[in-house]
Amino acid sequence: MGVVFEEDASGAWNEMFSSPGQPRPIYERLLADINAYQPQELRLRSEQLARTFIDRGVTFAHSGEERPFPLDLVPRILGALEWDRLARGIAQRVRALEAFLADVYGEGRIFDEALMPRRVITSSPHYCRAAFGITPPNGVRIAVAGIDLIRDEHGNFCVLEDNVRIPSGVSYVIENRRAMTQAFSALFSDHRVHPVDSYPSRLFAALLAAAPAKALEPVIVVLSPGVFNAAYFEHVLLARMMGVELVEGRDLVCRSNHVYMRTTNGERAVHVIYRRVDDDWLDPLQFRPDTVIGVAGLVNAARAGNVVISNGIGNGVADDKLIYTYVPEFIRFYLGEKPLLDNVETHRLDDDEVRAEVLGQLARYVIKPVDGSGGKGIVIGPRATTTELKALHKAISAAPRNFIAQRPVALSTHPTFVGEGIAPRHIDLRPFAVNDGEDVWVLPGGLTRVALGEGELIVNSSRGGGSKDTWVLNDESIPFRGAVPPASARSRRYAGPPRQNDEYIFEQGEQ
Amino acid sequence: MSERLGLAIRHHTGFTYDGLAKASYNEARMTPRSLGTQQVQSSRITVRPSVPLSSHVDYFGTLVTAFDIQETHPQLEVEATSQVESWAATLETPLDWRALRSERLSDRFSEFLLPTHRTALVGAITDEIATWQKLSDVHECVETASNFIRGEVSYVPGATTVSATAQEAWDRRKGVCQDITHVTIGLLRAMGIPARYVSGYLYPATEPEVGDVVEGQSHAWVEYFSGTWTGIDPTNGVRETQRHIIVGHGRDYDDVAPLKGIYQGPESTQLGVLVEIRRTH
Repeated sequence: MGVVFEEDASGAWNEMFSSPGQPRPIYERLLADINAYQPQELRLRSEQLARTFIDRGVTFAHSGEERPFPLDLVPRILGALEWDRLARGIAQRVRALEAFLADVYGEGRIFDEALMPRRVITSSPHYCRAAFGITPPNGVRIAVAGIDLIRDEHGNFCVLEDNVRIPSGVSYVIENRRAMTQAFSALFSDHRVHPVDSYPSRLFAALLAAAPAKALEPVIVVLSPGVFNAAYFEHVLLARMMGVELVEGRDLVCRSNHVYMRTTNGERAVHVIYRRVDDDWLDPLQFRPDTVIGVAGLVNAARAGNVVISNGIGNGVADDKLIYTYVPEFIRFYLGEKPLLDNVETHRLDDDEVRAEVLGQLARYVIKPVDGSGGKGIVIGPRATTTELKALHKAISAAPRNFIAQRPVALSTHPTFVGEGIAPRHIDLRPFAVNDGEDVWVLPGGLTRVALGEGELIVNSSRGGGSKDTWVLNDESIPFRGAVPPASARSRRYAGPPRQNDEYIFEQGEQ
Repeated sequence: MSERLGLAIRHHTGFTYDGLAKASYNEARMTPRSLGTQQVQSSRITVRPSVPLSSHVDYFGTLVTAFDIQETHPQLEVEATSQVESWAATLETPLDWRALRSERLSDRFSEFLLPTHRTALVGAITDEIATWQKLSDVHECVETASNFIRGEVSYVPGATTVSATAQEAWDRRKGVCQDITHVTIGLLRAMGIPARYVSGYLYPATEPEVGDVVEGQSHAWVEYFSGTWTGIDPTNGVRETQRHIIVGHGRDYDDVAPLKGIYQGPESTQLGVLVEIRRTH
């Protein structure tokens, strides 16, 4: 027995152990592998992981300094069956959100059916009237979605929030796997892990499918706000892995509703823009006139059908946390299906009765601003001071539409290497879905974020979180112990992207 | 009230630059569309320098002409001409307050009930509301509010800028039609009456002669929902007449600005707005 596993006293669902010392079957092999290491060796490997990230510039800005994004050496494992259920739930959610966006920027059937008050939409700051009448050629407004999941005390996955504007973090998934295969290649020969490196080609295919029909050889670009953006590393990585140009606003020009890219060989028409620039900054004619990172005329070029902006303009309305509470209804209404994934129990504070009840016992809820991201503005009632709760009470009473209340969920924990040994830490999961108009594909695994502080519940990197390589096993029914799967079925060593020395910062501005 | 006016409208506006402008992107909302009180027989927009134009109908139903000018230019001119037949709506019996405030209607018109930063009003002005709301007839209530504002806020061109809010105009008790419209909208919404901003033209002659060309105005007034959308012109203290030609609707001015744009280059000066209207029949 090597490293010491600290017992989990949090009461939360433990991902690895069903009871103290008793690993869940899917983790048995991993546990044995980890136990084979001496603590010093694990520390060395952990340092090696950190070094890989610093060497490759995989850092993020935290409290004003560049730090490597901590990758924990204990991977998170999801079984094939469980993953299949999750992936179907995520795909279902993305299809419902697509239908919802098409509806609110079109006919508005949901209001006619009185399933949702119109004012929920018209009062959302992200409802973009300038996007009204823009019809994507293949119907896709959500080429990429990041659906944040947590596992509750009973082991059920539920959706915490939807990110269908410019979800970021997929580069961590790719980089984490790359680093882990280097530092712990032995673990990968013992497990058949679904690869994650097909993401860029999936995204490229989806963007190609989104192109205007009249574009015979569609030109795709990645539009970045530039090197100072927190996720610039990701923009560079995706552009490079897709083999498309990375551009900034100043590289593009609109003329008569067509978009062109300035190149050394003159101008070249652009047909699909995978943009990592927020709506507000995208087109100074429609939104903030002072933007220097956007492209004037882009919205009308999209309306004219000459270019596709992906993800769609105005998608933010679907990320609004008040609108999130209606997603299960969207699934029933638009798809005629039963939701496969539940929301976290959430209360709508624009309802007078509900608000009165929540305000009466604020300390029992988690209160979130409807348009916050990166963990900003969240108050965890049971941990808040009286002063904080008073201020919150006032803020909610003044603008009830701006907040939602949720049941505090003890996020599941996962054994995590924390220097002295291995201890439970809270985690969440952000899977990434790609919609090509025919099918919603979910990248196996996604980004597991871990709150590194003991007992800490907010996992965002901007709050000092780290991440874990997330494994979806190819087929859990195949017994690994003592049986070597045929070479053709075994996972391959991951060949990383051919790139070096890019800066990596995270969060801030992106989702 | 069934008199039909045939009007030929010419609306000319633009900018001149202290030098040369380029990379200019614009949207003009200067073209009337056929509606319940008007029929548009023809319309066209001319832009100088001459460039390709594209058009679409926006979220609020207004016809938008979009264009961009890449080449350098000392001046931008936009001229909209249209031939419109216009008539006055008959005043329908209004809904009662209970029906108007029903959940269904207040939700349907939520965006014409919520204040915008242009229409929001706070302070003593809102005290008047309680008295007006006692009037059982919604039309009468709106007229009373409109007359009150007309009595309080003087029409003083130049007293406010194009970016003024209702509150600023109210505090100064001065403004132009845009401001008086914003104040009225703010008060109607505060009373729970859905109200929207109307951008358009006013044919000023009360006794119009066929063939006369008169200087018209780019004008703004209010429509409120009382079972149907009903127009009232608080600046002139009248209901919407056949002399009011509608170009577009919005929550406030910002949704229907006649010409909005951005460009690269030196400071600009507005050319001034010229509206000429000729009665054709």
